[in-house]
Amino acid sequence: MQITGMKWGAKLLKYVDFPTAEVLGAEAQPEEIQALIDKYGGVLVKPVFKGGIGKKGKAGLVGKATDVRTALKEKERLYFVEHRHGNSVAKSEGVTYESFIKADYEVYVSLTDSTTFRAPTLTITHHGGVDIEELPPEKIVTVPFDPLTGLKGFVISNALQKLGAPNEIVSPLVQNLTKLWDLFHNYGMTTLELNPIRVTRDANGRLTPIACDFKCAFDGDDRNSKRLFLPEDLENTDLSDYELEVNQLRTYQGQSDVFVINPAGSVTAMTFGGGANALVTELLGDRATISSDFGGNPPYAKMKEISRITYKHWLPQTNVLFIIGGKANNTDIYETFRAMGDALREYFAEKGPTPLYVVVGRGGPNLIRGMGYLRDIMDSLGIPYAMFGFDSAMSEVINHAMAADEWMANGGRQMVAQKLGIR
Amino acid sequence: MVRQVDLGLNEGYNFMHARGEDEFPYYVGVRSLADLATKQDRVCVLNILGGESSTVTPVSHVYSGGNIVCGTMPGRSGAVMKTAAGDIPVYNNVLEALKAGHKFNVAVVYVPPSGVKDAVIEAVRVNPDLRKVIILTEKVKVKHARIIRQYCQWRGVDVFGANCLGVADAHNHVRLGGALGGSAPEESLVPGSVAIFSNSGNFTTTIATYLLTAGWGSTVSLSSGKDVYIHFAAPEFTYAMHNDSRTKAAVMYIEPGGYYEHGLNFKKPVVACVVGRWKARLTRACGHAGAIAGSGDDALAKEKWFQEKFEVKGIFTPDAPICSAKGAVVTNIAHIPMALTAVMMMNGIKPDFAPRGNLSPKCWFHNGQGLALPAELAAPVVEAMEPYSQQIADLAKQVGTTFPRQSMKDCSGASRMDGKTQVSQLHGVSVLDSSTRTFEENLVQSLIREYANANGVAMANVALNAFVNQSGTVLLAAADAAREAGSSPNAVLGAAVALVGPKEVDGAREAVQALIDLFGLSGLRDPAQADFDFSEQIKQVQSTPALQEILVADKKGGKRGRNMLTALEQRGVKSVFIDFLKGLTDRQGSVRDSVVLAAITTHLAWSPFMNRRLSVNTLVVMPWHFRVFSAMVGATVPMDGQDKKSFRGVDNGDLMGSWSFTETAFAALFGRKPSEEELFSFSVLMGLLITNGPGTISAQGAKGAVSADGPEAPGRVQVNKAYMGFLTHTGFAHGGNGFEAIAFLMERFQESGLNDPGDPDHGLDLEAMAMQYAKEYKGYKSKAKSSGELEYLKIPCVNHPVFKGKDVNFDPREVFVDELFKKRGSYNIFQDFYHKLVHALFKAGVSSNVYCVNVDAVIAVILLKMLWRPYSCGEVSGDALERAAFTTFLFGRMIGSAAEIDDHTNRGRNMDTRTAASLCSHAG
Repeated sequence: MQITGMKWGAKLLKYVDFPTAEVLGAEAQPEEIQALIDKYGGVLVKPVFKGGIGKKGKAGLVGKATDVRTALKEKERLYFVEHRHGNSVAKSEGVTYESFIKADYEVYVSLTDSTTFRAPTLTITHHGGVDIEELPPEKIVTVPFDPLTGLKGFVISNALQKLGAPNEIVSPLVQNLTKLWDLFHNYGMTTLELNPIRVTRDANGRLTPIACDFKCAFDGDDRNSKRLFLPEDLENTDLSDYELEVNQLRTYQGQSDVFVINPAGSVTAMTFGGGANALVTELLGDRATISSDFGGNPPYAKMKEISRITYKHWLPQTNVLFIIGGKANNTDIYETFRAMGDALREYFAEKGPTPLYVVVGRGGPNLIRGMGYLRDIMDSLGIPYAMFGFDSAMSEVINHAMAADEWMANGGRQMVAQKLGIR
Repeated sequence: MVRQVDLGLNEGYNFMHARGEDEFPYYVGVRSLADLATKQDRVCVLNILGGESSTVTPVSHVYSGGNIVCGTMPGRSGAVMKTAAGDIPVYNNVLEALKAGHKFNVAVVYVPPSGVKDAVIEAVRVNPDLRKVIILTEKVKVKHARIIRQYCQWRGVDVFGANCLGVADAHNHVRLGGALGGSAPEESLVPGSVAIFSNSGNFTTTIATYLLTAGWGSTVSLSSGKDVYIHFAAPEFTYAMHNDSRTKAAVMYIEPGGYYEHGLNFKKPVVACVVGRWKARLTRACGHAGAIAGSGDDALAKEKWFQEKFEVKGIFTPDAPICSAKGAVVTNIAHIPMALTAVMMMNGIKPDFAPRGNLSPKCWFHNGQGLALPAELAAPVVEAMEPYSQQIADLAKQVGTTFPRQSMKDCSGASRMDGKTQVSQLHGVSVLDSSTRTFEENLVQSLIREYANANGVAMANVALNAFVNQSGTVLLAAADAAREAGSSPNAVLGAAVALVGPKEVDGAREAVQALIDLFGLSGLRDPAQADFDFSEQIKQVQSTPALQEILVADKKGGKRGRNMLTALEQRGVKSVFIDFLKGLTDRQGSVRDSVVLAAITTHLAWSPFMNRRLSVNTLVVMPWHFRVFSAMVGATVPMDGQDKKSFRGVDNGDLMGSWSFTETAFAALFGRKPSEEELFSFSVLMGLLITNGPGTISAQGAKGAVSADGPEAPGRVQVNKAYMGFLTHTGFAHGGNGFEAIAFLMERFQESGLNDPGDPDHGLDLEAMAMQYAKEYKGYKSKAKSSGELEYLKIPCVNHPVFKGKDVNFDPREVFVDELFKKRGSYNIFQDFYHKLVHALFKAGVSSNVYCVNVDAVIAVILLKMLWRPYSCGEVSGDALERAAFTTFLFGRMIGSAAEIDDHTNRGRNMDTRTAASLCSHAG
């Protein structure tokens, strides 16, 4: 799960008492907006995207207003605005009104786990408020730190010193940025980015860092994020019904990772193993309905339930049911094939036959027993199939599945349907 | 052990860590791949008795020569893990194991994710000898990985994983951790000169297997895992690979995400397989947690990193083998062996051994199900490598299919009803389609799950008609006795069927089994294949007295058998099994009727049997079903309707030689040969009646009878008794109700002077008749209601609980049949009347909309049309009409019951139809 923007960011930062801009939701009344403008001199109107959508400012998706009329007009423009960033397309669902923060400095800060240092790492610059990638390396400092002790003041202070940051911002940042470790480490984050933190001066001349934008990503395997009591639909924003249903079965053993690739795809691949998943996803491309990884020796009952859900969602449109994995180390082929076969048989019994071509490529313990079992089920259902040994190049087996898909799409589906007695 | 490092930017981070290899700014203890998995390593497995460890650890222990000294499992101290290399003791925790005197330098962690961090810290804390921790567990929190990393850095311990399969050394014959090489590590882990590093556990083994096809064996296989934290990653592997003199080259399998491979500097040739270009489109990790790229670490970027290192300008493919002496980048694991060979050739290094196998697609199992597949899909089945080919050969010795057993209460693998359309199916064929088939076609289909061709149908007619004449049998005597006692048709037929016991069909069943044994593995797939050479089978019978006993009768025996062969000849059928029997007879004597029956049923079932759609048991009991079919029809005719030579006046030979079983059944019921129109109508009628799904009472009776015999020992299931179950579960309400509509229609038309119900110019004003009745009914209904009579007479066969509520309602089944007859130009006055009646009922205000005419009316109108003339002439009594209607239902439902009996025998469990006491209630 990823979160961008201050709607939720401000709430999360409050957990650790990190100062933030004042934020109103889309439901704010004109008088509330007016009050915010009166207090801060203006508001930024930002669309609210679910998930990790960045670069809103660059795309002209941040409105500025110093009067209520403009603020409401910007709300109208941005409320359902669409934003494309990289491969992600997002549609806004609302806006926030965020107070102007006058700043003497803009700071960029992020915490993430660096694969170079193999440690949690602080990235910081006082040349913030811009795209971090656009800054020359000498204006940024990236420094790993010890997770056993956490993000300590001296890490921040040393980094700022290295940057040559103005002395007056060091103390306010040291005091406040250390709070982020608590949010990052104890609530299951893998990335936390504040850009900009506007360092503002109060009437007494004291500087305070105010978070004005927020981005974070949570570790899907860490339940600690639940302690933040974020709304469920925030997490489920990009999950399809199918993914939600399969996710119910997730356990620590994995065995049920799915991702919908193309809701109109025609090859449904039951994939075993992360490697096979990568190769199959790569080669099938848009033909694939789903990307899946059911590896990790799932027990019969779980595999059958996963298959039942998968078949329910995808078989009606599927030309090729593709069961694919390398030579399993530990996954019992007989158990998994028995589960997938039984679920297929039950699907046919319950919903009636559906035209299918089954392609299998697999190796591992109890392979021939498993293939034999699946073969008998396919024969009893009257489904055409081809099963390949693990000494076949997996890409060749994928090619066979794609050829079967072609054939099915060009008349084969009707022939199979006729054979199965489908009216 | 703790060293100081220069204070630089790592202030507060690498302030302290154990002293390892100087090459790294952090602790790395393994200098050479040769030290990764050695014969000296001793292992403690944490959570040793858990599910995954239970299957993997014993194999590792045996493969590695017994390197696992102990395991832990909270609360299981004192237990042992049994392995072929001896028992492994189990302790509550690591400390206990150490106190028991065990020494180990490797901890393998199978602990569930929430406990991994603590388990690792504890193991490292209490055991100063610990140098390697291998974490198999998937879905370890990143937060915990941070801590594990730092703690082990501090204590000088190399960590592998998490979510990895550990390491294996083919030279040392040692594997540590997970299941690299699977249950037979020697198959994949063949000693050679290539080190394998893989983000994918499965691909570690798969790559090792692929390399064999180009003659490359392995030194070390390392499954790194692909979590966010990879503790022993590509840089560490590369360093250790350089220091391993056995390793001449490496293969690295790399997924997107992370900068582990960014700064590598290779001193030995490397083939890097970088996958996941497409994965850049994923917005969440699927599969490996760490395989989701941020910015600049996606698959394309990683391809570039490696290309720069190897000084190549593209991806190696068989068509464009771009590589240098430094290495090659591939994006498909299948190209690894070829790329490695090409790179090594540039270095003047030859493969370790001759190629073992190849990576061409090898189809081990294929069935196009008779479809005309294009050439690219008609994958030829090739012989698998050993030991798989032997396993497949063993599998091939099993003929037919075996259905998994489950509770079949209220469940059927044969029939089902679509709740929406109310149209039922048998073996995937809707009863609407069944109704366009003949009685014999449907009977055969009920058992072999597909329709026989014309040749098969001709054979079925011979078999079914051969045994229909029951003259002089106790079976007929029993049926007649039941008839005379006033029993209903189902009870009469039940009495008859009781006498088609197992002994009656022993010979046929043995003959089927013998034919399966003789031909099952002969390669015969099409039993009508004219030129099939069965000389071997003949020889086998001639040299086997037991087979002769089963298949060959003496000269005297088998008049009916001979007649059946003659009838088959008359019909011009082609059958390997019949020719085979003739071949035996020519040489050795006569043939029994039971053996001919067995040959016919085996012929009918052979193709689906070879396609593994049928079980051996189905084939073996098929003659029994056939005998019951014949007996049911035969017993319908009382003693005075059949004699030794003829049935309903038709010569037995003629029946066998030229009559269809539908014609015979019609004659049995109505005493004459049907016209073409009647034959069609009769078939439609029986087709519609085949099934209403497993929930119908008749199916429940049949299934209950099978269940009670115990289908788990299918040989004990009495097929005839199962039909008795079906028959006892029919009655005046279920099966006899078609007569209500007949009685209703007879009453309407009794005084009408109707002569030919099939003549559209009948001269009757049906609308007026309908309206008159509607008004009469309305008066009757209101009178009955006002007198408080709730059980007032309902008009049979109008309205339906599903097909209702619209302005004008239709039962699609009735519509189907109506159109079927209309297309043939066939008119039925009774059906016409029914259509007019539902409109009249609406107009008269009896109904609030136009009711549908339901499918039961179809049965009544077809039957009445056939019997109107004899009935109106007084040739047939009302009682006989009722019997005919009921028996017609029984014939039709016999088809569905056959399928249920066979299905339940194949799939069911003993006594699975009973209802748990907790689900039963008491009506006190």
